[in-house]
Amino acid sequence: MKKILTITALCASMAYAGADVLPVEKRTFEQSKFIPDISLIMDASFVHRSVSDDEAPHLEVPGIAHGLLGSHAHEGATHTIYNENNGFNLNYAELVLSSSVDPFFTMDGVFHISEHGFEIEELFFTSNALGDGLRLKGGKFSSNFGYLNEHHHHAWDFADMPLVYESFLGMHGINEKGVQLQWTAPTSLYLMFGVEVLQGDNEQMFGNKTIGDSEITTISKYANTPSLYVGYVKTSFDIEDTTVLAGLSYARGSSRIDHSSDEENPHAFSGMSSLYGADLVIKHYFDSYSFLALQSEYLSRKMDGEQYSNIDTSVDPYTYATTDMTKKQSGFYSQLTYAYDKNYRFGARYDQITQNEISVSSAFSPENMNKYSIMAEYHTSEFARFRLQYNRNNALYNEANEQQHIDTIILQANISIGAHAAHSF
Amino acid sequence: MYKLILLLFLPLTLLAHLNIAVSYPYIGALTKSIGGEHIRTVVLAKGNWDPHFVVPRPSLISKVRNADALIMNGGQLEIGWLPPLINRAANPKTASDAKTFLNLSWHVELLDKPADVDRSGGDIHPDGNPHFHLDPNNILILADVIKKFLISIDGEHKEVYEKNYLEFEGMWKSKLGMWKAKMQDKKGLKVIQFHNNLSYFNQAYGLVNIGTIEPLPGIPPSSKHTFELIRLINDEKPCCILHDVYHSTKTAEYISDKTGIKIILMPHDIGALEDIEDLSSLFEYLTGAIR
Repeated sequence: MKKILTITALCASMAYAGADVLPVEKRTFEQSKFIPDISLIMDASFVHRSVSDDEAPHLEVPGIAHGLLGSHAHEGATHTIYNENNGFNLNYAELVLSSSVDPFFTMDGVFHISEHGFEIEELFFTSNALGDGLRLKGGKFSSNFGYLNEHHHHAWDFADMPLVYESFLGMHGINEKGVQLQWTAPTSLYLMFGVEVLQGDNEQMFGNKTIGDSEITTISKYANTPSLYVGYVKTSFDIEDTTVLAGLSYARGSSRIDHSSDEENPHAFSGMSSLYGADLVIKHYFDSYSFLALQSEYLSRKMDGEQYSNIDTSVDPYTYATTDMTKKQSGFYSQLTYAYDKNYRFGARYDQITQNEISVSSAFSPENMNKYSIMAEYHTSEFARFRLQYNRNNALYNEANEQQHIDTIILQANISIGAHAAHSF
Repeated sequence: MYKLILLLFLPLTLLAHLNIAVSYPYIGALTKSIGGEHIRTVVLAKGNWDPHFVVPRPSLISKVRNADALIMNGGQLEIGWLPPLINRAANPKTASDAKTFLNLSWHVELLDKPADVDRSGGDIHPDGNPHFHLDPNNILILADVIKKFLISIDGEHKEVYEKNYLEFEGMWKSKLGMWKAKMQDKKGLKVIQFHNNLSYFNQAYGLVNIGTIEPLPGIPPSSKHTFELIRLINDEKPCCILHDVYHSTKTAEYISDKTGIKIILMPHDIGALEDIEDLSSLFEYLTGAIR
């Protein structure tokens, strides 16, 4: 009996050990070879700002945007920006998964996980199988409007977004559900045309939801969705080791901007908005690692519709005042980046709001708003980057309409592991 | 205006039968040798810059978009720049699973395959060293692979490609003999490099690489490693630093100052130095560089 037990135990252990060493390719239902490319990127920062975290969210770019700094609650969700607080910030963990689906599609997912929750930054399929230079994308993605918009935060040359982008479109830019069709012309000159049909949820400039819906009152009815249309053309050529990339973009969609439940000055806007963009990148390479790049974008918008002010939602029907309003606002940023070698990079950026016209005479709409930024980066390798940035922001006003001059120092760490990131131009 | 548009479209369809995009100049030259007048090659990377860091200029998207086929080096040498170009170009003929797509690294035995793949070891190539074209014996293997590839996508000109291959093979074999004779007395010489670009060249001619100026692949020189290297050079007495043309020779010059070791610039591809105009002159130069 003892013998039988010993033999059984021995056999069992042998069989177990055997199963353990079975090579991957011999495991019948092994699927590990289908694991998509995975990478994880962390972005963390140390911030020192000349205003307190309590004050920051109450500052605004008058006539253009509320609360550019710090977090603010809106319709139950907390909207946070990067580098939100004085001291340490964990901006996000970005998880990227990508793989081919079948011979016709690839799929990419970009997920932001932060202390405030989980966000699908992008999730889309792409088909490169159409031929004739056509490329189709569908899902949720960052629009190819302008230059910076489709680049992820970790690919930017500064820790924060240019003033004109952030105040017009919010920190995610045009990031929407929809479809995109692009066509590259069969010419030796790079010439690309693209159109996008998007849901239009962007709440900084567009939006489509009903404003102020009670049993009796509707301040403004929803817009038919999808409600945002984008088109652009881009071209590029090389002169020796200098590459020029230029583009013109246009976006038009309905606007439903709802601040009717704000504590101070509840208001809303309903109408149609157009956004025009022109971008130019000139990059000269001295060798494989060193370059000097000029990057500029000009954005101009026209918002046409009804402004609802003094909204009182404590009574039904709601009471409010209606005014016809047209906003014409423009701004640009221009930045110069110099990569000395693989390790060091330096940059300077100038931001300005150049036009801030609001047809309502009582509106406070100053025009002398700008921001200066400088930065220095150290890359230990392609996978890790540390950046020191200084900003002086002259674009924010307090509730008494007094211009603020805010100094910010940001020390940022951006680290990635996993699949090799290949960045497009 | 209409005429102008017509002009822009015309040349691409009329020029040649096959428009083949290739990642590096050596592949272009090899493909042209076999393809002859039936193909047109479009080289994406510059020969005098780091093959690992090619700028993905948008103009390259157009080149890939208009290609009938794509030939790449592979072995992850293009990982940092070619995937976004292929993706943006959205050309079914240059998709990595298309029969008009050729990855040369699949047809060559790769050296230096790391046992342990971890980035603490630097920016390593998990499939092995991808600079296999610097063994002139591999050039014949690659020429044969390219010949078969061209025949598979353009069977109509099979005889031309076979004839061109035979011509190339004859020429190359006679040169292989000459280069072997030139390098005969270099067997066993110890060398230092910046990055282990010449692994295959060294293997072909029996040179022994004993150290690199970069402490780990893709990691720039550090003073600690440089001092260790100086000690190694004093102990082992290697003949020379075989330096690539695209990294700064600053650290090499410092080491040379301290130890008296020679620095020899070694081109890695056509166009890396001014005189390197074709594959023969590349190996002519490489085999004559160590004196």
